Amino acid sequence: MDKVFQGEHLLPGHLGQIFVIFSFGAALLSAISYYFATTSANKLDTSWLKMGRWAFYINSISILGVVVCLFYIIYNHYFEYHYAWSYTSKSLPVYYLVSGFWNGQEGGFMLWTFWQAVLGNVLIWRAKSWEKPVMTVVAFSQVWLASMLLGIEFFGARIGSSPFLLLRNAIEAPIFSKPDYLSFIKDGQGMNPLLQNYWMVIHPPTLFLGLASVVVPFAYAIAGLWQKRYKEWVNQAIPYALFGGMILGTGVIMGSLWAYESLSFGGFWAWDPVENASIFPWLTLVGGLHVLIVYKNTGHSYFTATFLVLLSFVMVLYTSFLSRSGILGETSVHSFTDLGMFWQLVSYILVFLVIMVYFLVVRRKELPVTKKDEETYSREFWMFVGAIFLGLSCFHLILVTSIPVWNTMFGTKVAPPNDLIGHYNIIQASFAMVITLLTGFTQFLKYKKTDVTRFFITTLLYFAFAVLITALVVYVTGLYKLHFVFLLVMLGSIYSLLANGKVLADALKGKFKLAGSAVAHIGFALMLVGALISAGTREVVSKNETGSLNIGNFNKAAGDVKENIMIYKNDPVKMGEYMVTYLGDSVAEPNHYYKVDYKKFDAKGNVTEEFVLRPNVQISAQMGLSPSPDTKHYLLHDLYTHITALPQSAATANSTDADHGEANDDKNYDPPVAHQIAVGDTIAFKGGYIVLKSLNKEARVQNIPLTNSDVAIGAKLEVVSNGKTYYAEPVYMIKDKSVFDFARIVDDAGLKLRLTKIIPEKSKVEITVLEQPQNKRPWIVMRALDFPYINFLWAGTVIMIIGFLLSIFRRNKELKTD
Amino acid sequence: MKKSSIFGLIVIAIAIAVIISTYSSSSTYGTFSEAKKTASELRVVGHLDKQKELYYDAARDANYFSFYVKDKKGGECKVVFGGTKPQDFERSEQIVLTGQMVGSEFHASHILMKCPSKYTQDKINVTEAKAKSANI
Repeated sequence: MDKVFQGEHLLPGHLGQIFVIFSFGAALLSAISYYFATTSANKLDTSWLKMGRWAFYINSISILGVVVCLFYIIYNHYFEYHYAWSYTSKSLPVYYLVSGFWNGQEGGFMLWTFWQAVLGNVLIWRAKSWEKPVMTVVAFSQVWLASMLLGIEFFGARIGSSPFLLLRNAIEAPIFSKPDYLSFIKDGQGMNPLLQNYWMVIHPPTLFLGLASVVVPFAYAIAGLWQKRYKEWVNQAIPYALFGGMILGTGVIMGSLWAYESLSFGGFWAWDPVENASIFPWLTLVGGLHVLIVYKNTGHSYFTATFLVLLSFVMVLYTSFLSRSGILGETSVHSFTDLGMFWQLVSYILVFLVIMVYFLVVRRKELPVTKKDEETYSREFWMFVGAIFLGLSCFHLILVTSIPVWNTMFGTKVAPPNDLIGHYNIIQASFAMVITLLTGFTQFLKYKKTDVTRFFITTLLYFAFAVLITALVVYVTGLYKLHFVFLLVMLGSIYSLLANGKVLADALKGKFKLAGSAVAHIGFALMLVGALISAGTREVVSKNETGSLNIGNFNKAAGDVKENIMIYKNDPVKMGEYMVTYLGDSVAEPNHYYKVDYKKFDAKGNVTEEFVLRPNVQISAQMGLSPSPDTKHYLLHDLYTHITALPQSAATANSTDADHGEANDDKNYDPPVAHQIAVGDTIAFKGGYIVLKSLNKEARVQNIPLTNSDVAIGAKLEVVSNGKTYYAEPVYMIKDKSVFDFARIVDDAGLKLRLTKIIPEKSKVEITVLEQPQNKRPWIVMRALDFPYINFLWAGTVIMIIGFLLSIFRRNKELKTD
Repeated sequence: MKKSSIFGLIVIAIAIAVIISTYSSSSTYGTFSEAKKTASELRVVGHLDKQKELYYDAARDANYFSFYVKDKKGGECKVVFGGTKPQDFERSEQIVLTGQMVGSEFHASHILMKCPSKYTQDKINVTEAKAKSANI
């Protein structure tokens, strides 16, 4: 039965599989030990605790082992392993081998379990009296993640999917019956060219660290409920919740920056289900964070805080279910397909949901809930309102994104709204308006009780200012063309900027510990300002109404209508305020760069600005064409250009010109025209003119030796086309009593030039000109967009991260002084 | 009544409003024959008819692309899209079109295609691997 196959390297796979099983077993042992350590009545007995720790260390080391084995396999190109064969190839540079590592779903789980192990070790080191219950939860979650990598048959059902699966076990093909099958598999499938990008190296680790870190506040909340330490867990959890919010937010924005810089979505956010899912946990976590702080300062909103923190982790699990179960098939462009783990993913969510609900229900009577109502003019009340609105925003996103889930659950056949983007924009903008206004005026309120008259005076004063500035911004940027909701978001954001600016100014004068939240709010408001203006007033520069096949009654709301423009090589085209010219292309496999020259003129016709963009198309046999944009960045706007269509030949052939014979090549030109001219004469052609500068009597043609009886004459020609000058020297040759002529091609001018005759009696020569008809000349179709003020979005993100960092420092310090 | 109860009611009201607005703006999946009967936009799931012509000629119009799709019930219709031909269109296995009928043509405002990506393809291409090995 056991066949021996030649050339396989089974050791790293076996070793890796052992590490996978070890990591699962150790996580299970750790969870059980920590559980008994927590519940054990004998406080002096530390044996369970020790066992829990050691098991967790073994789990961490096993995960490292898995990582090392898999990397070894990928690094050495052992294509007998399905994972290495699917996602990498020999030509892939090392830094992309690293990203090949988390290209597949198994790699994603591995990254997640790795970060969770790191966080677990941090908790063992720092959590002190919280270690036992908190680590019970973390280790239990670790059990689930480890199970995702098992890939073992268990009562007829496959649990998890192992990265060490062999190719011959993954795929059925006759080739695997040969013992030497490996000698036929010389290379892997390689990485999707779109992922061969430095963002793919840094975005997934960041995002997974963010997702993994949400387990920590969850574990603290469960521990607090479980151990009836209702109030104490809050202070412990705040820094971790801040950390989670910061990293998760960074990861999500990195994703959108990646999309903007190198994918051709034509924007930074497309409301794709997978994108939406990544912000569910962020919204609930940030909401939870605010009410945690409310509780810490006033004792209000305990239930909401606990609920949102617990929910955040369940949202993380739901997110991973949505993107990995294949359920989004008909609505998302970039979800994974099902690896047969649908029910495993579902049970992971359900188990943690049950744990959450169980503790909330069982402990409901003991929760420290205040009977007293919050004051209307208090900071805590409005922070609470804000958190609820973040939750509502998340609720709406879940509702729409999960339409395929509802369809599966209820057997319905509802499709998402037709104008999906418009739907999301309007409803989410309404929530954003409320939230930004709240982040503004809540700054003027104090905890518990505020002087009402003073509050109203300052609030209204700032509001009046905000209205003025908004009016100005709306006028300058042209936002008034949009739905009024977006103007209200603008108002809210600017108000928030002003109010938090004041807090920051005060903070710099002395109360520096308050700076964190102010900075984070300023960052958030700036992000919204940037997103709103750039997405709302984005302009299509390549508007094109010239097509001869006009489509009647076309829905103008649709995105891609009349936005593409075709340009022939070296044939300048007017596009918006620019004159664009396609200059040519350069190739660095698999990247084909198309040089597009942009020129801007002033009223007198002088060039005021000129630059070249190089949008890129990756052409590979397996993946076809995948375009990446190139963007000219200005301080206040971006000019974004990407290729949307290419001639068929460019797509299919990687320069097979050599195969075409001479005669064949002439088909690409108009019929030849012969001109008899003398030195100094000029020939006109459609695209410019040619001057015969001189005759070269000592012309040489490469690789053809001439004897004394042979003659070779070159015609030195100067070609002027589209304001550029080219030189060419066609050659006329008499060798061994035969006549040859060597044509010269001037690609950029679309010309082929021949010296066909020498007429001594007239002292003239005959130059034959072949001109390429326009439609045979190389062309590209491209789309160009202008994104105004997009830098506010990126700057806002950075500022928000700084704000989160300042807050983490502050809350950590408080923890030590407590 | 306590303030938090009032606020709770407001939240519930907003949640219901969100559900209703989502439901009312939601679309339906249908076929071409259903599309012919309605004036509103809908989504049609189907696959590309590879026997018939894909028309895209950038020289004539860079924003006109037409092709034929067979819906799930087997009905076939000419589809017109006001943009360029999406990359890898010929390889698509399934197409989800959003749009409406105009005369006898279906005008799509949005195309979502599912390609047999390499993640699911898992077909071993031996000849290709061989051809590559010569270069190494």
